[in-house]
Amino acid sequence: MSASKRLFKEYKALCSDPPEGITAGPVSEDDMYLWEALIQGPDGTPFEGGVFPAELKFPRDYPLAPPSMRFLVDVWHPNVYPDGRVCISILHAPGDDPNMYEHASERWSPIQSVEKILISVMSMLAEPNDESPANVDAARMWRERRGEYEKIVRDNVRKSLGLE
Amino acid sequence: MAEQTLNIPQLVVFLLVSYFAIRWYLKPSSGDAQPAGGRRAPTVTAAQVDQLAQMFPQFDRRQIAWDLTRNGGNMAATTERVLSGSGLETPPASFTAPPSQSASARPTPTNAPKPSQPDLITRYNLASKLNSTSENSSEAPQKTKTWSQDKNERQAMLQRRREEMILTARRKMEEKQKAKS
Repeated sequence: MSASKRLFKEYKALCSDPPEGITAGPVSEDDMYLWEALIQGPDGTPFEGGVFPAELKFPRDYPLAPPSMRFLVDVWHPNVYPDGRVCISILHAPGDDPNMYEHASERWSPIQSVEKILISVMSMLAEPNDESPANVDAARMWRERRGEYEKIVRDNVRKSLGLE
Repeated sequence: MAEQTLNIPQLVVFLLVSYFAIRWYLKPSSGDAQPAGGRRAPTVTAAQVDQLAQMFPQFDRRQIAWDLTRNGGNMAATTERVLSGSGLETPPASFTAPPSQSASARPTPTNAPKPSQPDLITRYNLASKLNSTSENSSEAPQKTKTWSQDKNERQAMLQRRREEMILTARRKMEEKQKAKS
């Protein structure tokens, strides 16, 4: 199955039966390799009430290789780089394990899907992984000054919704 | 000649004796100044630990301080040890790390320059739809058709779902803020 066919199938599945709090699809169907997703902040976390847009870029050999994902608003989180890139094990191919801690089962494989990525990212927002900090400052703050961390997250949520 | 050969060993012995004598004389003063238990502690400063802890957040400050204490405050050695992958040892329970300076001394890095992103309302051109949200709220709960055979219709439906998600979130947040104030 070609990459774009598989992506189309996933797109259809995501539209017909969207997971709670997730909207995703290609920016334009003319290019199936660039998607935009919206993820709702999980309830009971400082991200609650927020909506976080992210861009997904798929490689030509998808689903052999995973897509890359980047948030398009400020996300203050230990596993999100300051430029928005998401660092999570499901986005790493089994061969490349920069952090030497991930189990093969958590990593990308063709049986994973966009839906699984987005659900994983949603739970990552709720539960940061302290072992692989992409944003060292956020990781430190999350560990040592939780109140301050949560305030920044909440402020960002309000800002991203155009409310001050 | 005989006298001379005798003089050289004598000179050597004299130098050695005076060297040790001076050393012995100087040493007690520095030894007394530091209590035996805390003798190694001053070699590790909080700043050193802070700096390494920032580089390697996966390690505890105590572990870093312990490694520094053991290698005499050599930051390069600790860095190398971490990078070589051999990890840091867990210090004994009695060991306490110098307190972190960061909490008070260092300004929080959050104010550091970050590319500011446009908010969602601007990004998705929703300003004009903000006031019509009350109509949307009644529509939102019912599940409408989400897939179409027509490409343009599909695209439009996806677009609408995105907008609804954002507008709903914004409305809820507005209500929450109103309730608070």
